[in-house]
Amino acid sequence: MEALKPTNTSWRVIPLQEHSGPMNMALDEAVSETVRARLTPPTIRFYSWKPSCVSIGYHQSLQEEVNTDECQARGLEVVRRLTGGGAVFHDSLGEITYSVIAPDGLFPRDIIASYREICGWIIDGLAKLGVKSEFKPINDVIVNGKKVSGNAQTRRGGVLHQHGTILYGLDVRTMFSVLKVSKEKISDKAIKSVEERVTCLSRECGATKQECYEALLASFTAGKEFSFGNFSQAEMQRALQLAKEKYSAPQWNARR
Amino acid sequence: MNLQSELKVHGGKLVKVSLEVSPQGTIAGVRITGDFFIHPEDALEIIEESLKGAQLDEKEIVLKATKAVEKTEAVMVGFSPCDIAQAILMAAKTETKNT
Repeated sequence: MEALKPTNTSWRVIPLQEHSGPMNMALDEAVSETVRARLTPPTIRFYSWKPSCVSIGYHQSLQEEVNTDECQARGLEVVRRLTGGGAVFHDSLGEITYSVIAPDGLFPRDIIASYREICGWIIDGLAKLGVKSEFKPINDVIVNGKKVSGNAQTRRGGVLHQHGTILYGLDVRTMFSVLKVSKEKISDKAIKSVEERVTCLSRECGATKQECYEALLASFTAGKEFSFGNFSQAEMQRALQLAKEKYSAPQWNARR
Repeated sequence: MNLQSELKVHGGKLVKVSLEVSPQGTIAGVRITGDFFIHPEDALEIIEESLKGAQLDEKEIVLKATKAVEKTEAVMVGFSPCDIAQAILMAAKTETKNT
């Protein structure tokens, strides 16, 4: 029997939707549950964040990473992810986010190899826009040495869940005001300016955000059997519950 | 007293430690935070718990952390038990500097 791969599996693709930070994280968890229970096919979803939001990694300290007063003053939400990795400012206008939620047997067991595979879909999408990018282990995609996409993965109960952001615009001023950037991290990279470390698609090509999304949608689905779909009613109900009871609660968001 | 340290792992992630040392000089409590990955995620708390009572000794910390990783069948990405030990010892040194 041929081993299962992303290309010989039937996928559900949920086109770009806009949700709050807690709801986006809750939808990922709700879909992980239905994929784990084999109630829904492996799923690729695209989304954006409204209002703008700061997400922090599973193991990060909220107080050490985020200027919560500034977030509140600017009307930004703050949410802790189910995945590790760093704090991210999700600009409601400047970012395309995706999630891949699938049985982990579809992907390499090696975690870096599975990052490389899914990040390869991003790289293919950017190539369609004329932007040459490459995978930088552990979990970044870079263009000319500058980060354009950050990704984070978790595996639970036989399900691989990877989400990541592709930067379209870059609002450095807001990013710096809401994130507490570690001096240690900056010094290690030996570069002082975030603009020298990070880039975005609006700088790298002339495409609109919609065109960037369409290129990513095409590359994520290339060679796959898929159908467009939406969240099931049960997933939506579960996500609404998780958004309220978990991802909006200080017990979760400020647990570290 | 909480002692703090930050370690940027070469080619890896940032490991931050908040350490409490007992009057006997052993680890009373440690909290490890950062942008690393560990699957399953809750293995980190088991590692932290396993280090309580350990001497501030690199070998002992690495051994205890490694045992906790093996027990939970955890996979660490971007850091290792050695990095945890190094970050803890860096935090402990800040006490020496302050006193």
